[in-house]
Amino acid sequence: MTTAPPVAKPTRLHVPGRRQQVAALSRERLMLVMLLFLAAILGIVLKIMYLTFTGQSFDDRAAGLTSLPLRPDIVDRNGETLARTIDAWSIGVHADRLLTRPEDLAPQLAVLMPEKTADQYLALLKSRKHFIYLRRRAMPELVEAVNALGEPGMAFAREPERLYPQAELAAHVLGWTNLDGTGVTGMEKLLDKRMTDPKYAGKPVTLSIDSRVQAAVEKELAQAMLNFQARGATGIVLDVHSGEVIALTSLPSFNPNDPGRSPPETRFNQAITGVYELGSTFKPITIAAAMDAGVVTSLSKRYDATAPLKVGKFSIRDDHPTKRWLNVPEMLVHSSNIVTARIADELGKDRLNGMFMRLGFGEPVSIELAGRGRPIQPVFWARTTTMTAGYGHGIAVTPMHLAKAYAALMNGGIMHPVTLLKREPGAIVPGTRVISPQVSYRLRQFTRMVVLEGTGKQANAPGLRVGGKTGTAEKASQGGYARKSLVSTFAGVFPVDDPKYAIVMMLDEPKGTAETYGYATAGWTAAPVVRKVVARIGPLLGIIPDARKDIPLEDIKPLIWHPKEGEE
Amino acid sequence: MNSALPKAERGRPRVLRPVAHKQRLGRADRTPLGRWFWEIDRVLVMLVLVLVAIGLVSVAAASPASAQRYSDLTHIIAPLHYFWRQVIWLMIGLPLMFMTSLLPKDRARRIAMYAGIFCLLMMFAIPLFGSEANGARRWINLAGFQFQPSEFLKPAYVVAMAWLLSLRNLDRTLPVMRISAVVTAMIAVLLMLQPDFGQTVIFAGIWMVLMMLAGISGRLIGVMIGLGVTAIVSAYAFYSVARTRINAFLFGEGDDYQVQAAHNAITNGGFFGTGPGGGEAKFRLPEAHTDYIYSVIGEEFGLMSCIAVVLLYAAIVVRVFVRLLDEEDDFVLLASAGLATQFGLQAVINIAVNVGLAPSKGMTLPFISYGGSSMIAVSAGFGLLLAFTRRNPAAKRSPYIVTRT
Repeated sequence: MTTAPPVAKPTRLHVPGRRQQVAALSRERLMLVMLLFLAAILGIVLKIMYLTFTGQSFDDRAAGLTSLPLRPDIVDRNGETLARTIDAWSIGVHADRLLTRPEDLAPQLAVLMPEKTADQYLALLKSRKHFIYLRRRAMPELVEAVNALGEPGMAFAREPERLYPQAELAAHVLGWTNLDGTGVTGMEKLLDKRMTDPKYAGKPVTLSIDSRVQAAVEKELAQAMLNFQARGATGIVLDVHSGEVIALTSLPSFNPNDPGRSPPETRFNQAITGVYELGSTFKPITIAAAMDAGVVTSLSKRYDATAPLKVGKFSIRDDHPTKRWLNVPEMLVHSSNIVTARIADELGKDRLNGMFMRLGFGEPVSIELAGRGRPIQPVFWARTTTMTAGYGHGIAVTPMHLAKAYAALMNGGIMHPVTLLKREPGAIVPGTRVISPQVSYRLRQFTRMVVLEGTGKQANAPGLRVGGKTGTAEKASQGGYARKSLVSTFAGVFPVDDPKYAIVMMLDEPKGTAETYGYATAGWTAAPVVRKVVARIGPLLGIIPDARKDIPLEDIKPLIWHPKEGEE
Repeated sequence: MNSALPKAERGRPRVLRPVAHKQRLGRADRTPLGRWFWEIDRVLVMLVLVLVAIGLVSVAAASPASAQRYSDLTHIIAPLHYFWRQVIWLMIGLPLMFMTSLLPKDRARRIAMYAGIFCLLMMFAIPLFGSEANGARRWINLAGFQFQPSEFLKPAYVVAMAWLLSLRNLDRTLPVMRISAVVTAMIAVLLMLQPDFGQTVIFAGIWMVLMMLAGISGRLIGVMIGLGVTAIVSAYAFYSVARTRINAFLFGEGDDYQVQAAHNAITNGGFFGTGPGGGEAKFRLPEAHTDYIYSVIGEEFGLMSCIAVVLLYAAIVVRVFVRLLDEEDDFVLLASAGLATQFGLQAVINIAVNVGLAPSKGMTLPFISYGGSSMIAVSAGFGLLLAFTRRNPAAKRSPYIVTRT
């Protein structure tokens, strides 16, 4: 601030030329202020330009806001999309803002959206509520049609929607989400936490499922179910070395895009929830236990199957009585209950049940899905209990239990935990030895013989070396067994010379047809499905059909006695 | 023309009479209105009228959003309520602007200074009699009308400060700068009591510009900038409203609903806008018709319109400043520059808030935002600006050019 000049007076200081100086300074300052102002304007214009290029429209943001972050996709092991989140439409109405008379609008809505009657729409429209959803997950055509009614009180909004582009494919594995985008069942439920974790936003979950294999399994099983008028069907394909589930299906299935529309029984997952007495498919397990325990000393050792085995008041009989003495390979080829019972008896309760426990039959299968069935075990092991359990009666497990056990018995004797999530290639898979590699090798030979010469002939996919065992069990009903209600199963591996995949196919209550001469047993129903499925999926999985390749059977074949022509 | 003639002359053969040469508002018109027409900055008037037109359309666009927001079950506001009210305010404001611009400079100055003293008294009265809204006590009820004294004080303050500072060149011993600093500080304290941080910034900004133009030394400018920074920092430290707003702006912490809502609205329409009535995000704006009307413009008329509006404000301010470059009257220079600064600064701050360059603060967009106090005060202020920038065109004309015969 200017201080008073030291010279006393004059009070009015008027320096000539000062005015001009001040004026020049003012001009300078005017320019400066103007430039500052223009700089601010420039900053604003630049910011607007920035907003032009970065701004999102309201719709995009609304979609993002309602379910932050967007639920990631679920893909199969090859990256095919099984579940994804898309932008869909919803239709609502502001009943308090209608311009059309509700009496006129309601019938029109009833025509376009027939899930409600005109009267119901009228009641909604007259409710004067601020907002009512009329349809969520609406098709664009419907939105257009409703919009064309010209009622400004209708509200259309984009909402994220979970879409399962393959519809029913692997529905039981995937499960579904509710309208709020929360997983309700299946992997959607299991993965809910990960799906809503921003850390994993945009990173798809890779399942172990191969959708091509899954599709083949579903197609063939559905065909068989139709053919044999079965109540249900289950199929599992398992990687024997990694425990990855390549395919898992339970029919009838549902469409996860609209689960409410399918009947409730379709949501029952027979593969992991349902427990069944799986019958003769247990015989290789009993043999494995016996051989591993040293009960079966020689493959040529014969057991009496000339007549039904009577134990107390029970009588164990064969479905295809041979009425002679059978060795172990023959027992499997002819699926003899009597011989299995005799071996199980020799083995004893502890060692048989020990094998069951090692194979995990004492608890639900550890897999990612919820609703895993707990096996039903004998409460009291009488002598007969051991004998019947040897051929799969009196003990009920899920098909997944069986697939897992077969994978372990056939892959060299090591059991791996099963999973529906893809394992990294080369990842170390935990495993426990259940039988010796030698016994595993013998089982592969035996099951191959079953397919070549026994009950499983119809499972023999050319060149794909299927080995396995059929199992036909009568369903337990009212304290006894229903002779007409069968559960027909085939469990096996392929290729037996170098096992890669275990496969279990099960038909629930198939009926015989003219083609099967009225038979509904596994050899006539489940085995053909396995042949068809393996023929389709083998090449997909990199197993080349080769008629020259097989497991060496030279030491087993001579053990099988064939009746001469015309005999029997 | 014909119908304007006296009834008796209608139908008669037209006779050219001497008065016909002296057209209304012609250069020969020497009435006050005629002189006004030739002396006024017509480009400036035109720019303001364009702005007013834009403002009216914008209020029409924003009105349904605010009407919905402030309606409740018992009290429903018609969608165009704010628009029609704005038309009424304009019908008061625009005549006021033209009437003010008709005033001779001296009388304009005198009236402004009386008005300033009145407003200042009102400011003192606010803590006692003021009415409160949104946690701030800024309004006063006068004869059934609610008005905001600080809005009216702004132009009056500019005129008073300009007059005070212009005295400096007449008598260098007058402590004009100290007086102006004291007055400004007093106003700032009154404003912060309300509290009204935005207006305080405006007053401080105007004062700084006036001081710069009045020729204070560069060192003092530096000191003032330092004081300004200190003021903002201390506002942040001791004034909770400012702190939460600045925090929300800088770190996105706390409640950044307003900032986010403005961003959503201004970007929703993209460059070309959703079209009039097509905006959706505007319904989520707080104060769509006042503080955030610029975002409504952005949504419905596009960011291109935002750029146009900001350039219009720039044009008005630049027009005034450029014309002042050869102004010789200190008072006119300071008053005009101050009024233009007030107008421009308010626009820049409001727009900066809307585009997310500044933390939110209650500030209207001159001539565009809805509001009675704001519209009338801005009109009066602009009328003063027009009055001060009036110039005799003959004074600048080269004496050597011969007009066509």
